[in-house]
Amino acid sequence: MADDGDRMDLVYRVLDDQLVDVEGRRCGRADDLELDGDVGGEPPRLHAILSGMGVWHRRLPRPLRPIGERVFGSGVLGEDVTRVPWEEVEEVGTVIKLKAKARDLGLAKGDDRMAKRLEDWPDA
Amino acid sequence: MKKILQIALGIVAAVGGFVDIGELVFNAQAGAHFRYRLLWAVVVGVIGIVVFAEMTGRVAAIAGRPVFDVVRMRLGFTAGLVTLVASLLTNLITLAAEVGGVALVLQMLFDVKIGTMILLAAMGLVLMVYFVPFDGLERIFGYLGCTLLVFVFAAVHLDPDWHQVGQGFLPSWHGSALYAYFVVGVIGAALVPYEVYFYSSGGIEEGWGERDLGINRANAVLGFGLGGLLSVALIMVSAQVLAPAQIDPGYLGTTALGAQHAYGEVGLLLALLGMLFAVGGAAVEVAMSGAYTLAQFAGWEWGKYRGTRGAPRFTLAWLIFFALAFVVVETGVDPVILTEYAVIFSVVALPLTYLPVLLIARDRTYMGDHANGIFGNTLGWLYFAIIVVVALAAVPLLLITQGGSG
Repeated sequence: MADDGDRMDLVYRVLDDQLVDVEGRRCGRADDLELDGDVGGEPPRLHAILSGMGVWHRRLPRPLRPIGERVFGSGVLGEDVTRVPWEEVEEVGTVIKLKAKARDLGLAKGDDRMAKRLEDWPDA
Repeated sequence: MKKILQIALGIVAAVGGFVDIGELVFNAQAGAHFRYRLLWAVVVGVIGIVVFAEMTGRVAAIAGRPVFDVVRMRLGFTAGLVTLVASLLTNLITLAAEVGGVALVLQMLFDVKIGTMILLAAMGLVLMVYFVPFDGLERIFGYLGCTLLVFVFAAVHLDPDWHQVGQGFLPSWHGSALYAYFVVGVIGAALVPYEVYFYSSGGIEEGWGERDLGINRANAVLGFGLGGLLSVALIMVSAQVLAPAQIDPGYLGTTALGAQHAYGEVGLLLALLGMLFAVGGAAVEVAMSGAYTLAQFAGWEWGKYRGTRGAPRFTLAWLIFFALAFVVVETGVDPVILTEYAVIFSVVALPLTYLPVLLIARDRTYMGDHANGIFGNTLGWLYFAIIVVVALAAVPLLLITQGGSG
């Protein structure tokens, strides 16, 4: 999993990458990363992946963030952002493979909601 | 044997799928205004799409990544978002142009009011995308689009001055802004980005892996390369028929006149059928490309192979694209004008999608032994330079020439 011994370039390999659940379903992107640790203490460690449009505004240049917040949401955990603990990551390869189903991790809720609405549509 | 047949059929589909309304408009106008003197620009554009498509197909097969996945990874969030918005807007204008184009051709074939035809065209396309599986879509439109080959036969049949044709393949400069505008338009029409969004996502829809690299190379090099023959033929026929009569093909049907001139009514019918399926196929590709790009950027499930409920937001996205395009065309805006804007703005956004693909294609972490070699990298960077120059020149030339009208 590591790139160079025990090091991994998180921006190059993890940030913005596709999340895929244990069943092979695409279920969001690594929209932001949550690090653990105090300034001056132990080196920070990757704690969790944050996925969902709610964190998109934080990725924009500062002057655009208020607009981004209005368009994409303000980042309420469990609503427009899902926190995926790093322990749930199986592998970082061409995609980020997760150990559990998207539904159990709270991911791909938008697709699940929409699939219910399209229940009566003919199958393509 | 089965594999060879599969490759051959893929090439035929790529040939038929190469031409869209952009080529029909820009190449016919290029021939009418400048006779054979822009043939070299077709070659530049076609080699560009071959290089770009081959890389995206290879990245899809080896790293399993479609274009917008790579855009988001390599450009970062903000530049990726800008690219997404630009791509969605140009996709929408292009889709409106293609739907309008299908309606125009249907109107010529059946002589019914254009408003009715726009509705029928949009509905027919939606039903096909909904119910026909991915490879079926690719094949139906690709094979039937091959009737456009009537232009290749017409180009030869009309007995061109081969010396002048040959000279047209040598890059030349004519010092006018209008000529430069058509250089950009002809290159841009061949290099429209939606084709590679569709091509790379299609590779993943069809489950491409390392074993399919040969199919990718054949489709990209031979399919798109031979598709370029159709573009050359469109310019030649227009140079032989429209230029001497000083006809400016501002109307889509005018392009078909060249085939009629050579083969009478049969030629006209074949040309119109070819245009119908080439433009219809392009409409399908553009609508799906819009949905692919959006879903890939956001990380949603996507792909026709997942079915309606397996990838619901993706399905809804392409349906909404068709609905929006329908609204745009129903306002009565001319599909030919829409096409010119679509091609020019696609060219502007092109470097933003090309660069990340090039960066991944040369990255051994993702591509292993299949990363670009020295030849691939040199060609890749050379085309990046060409694309940047063309992108920078596009909008100023559009303004100076007032959309190619003066």
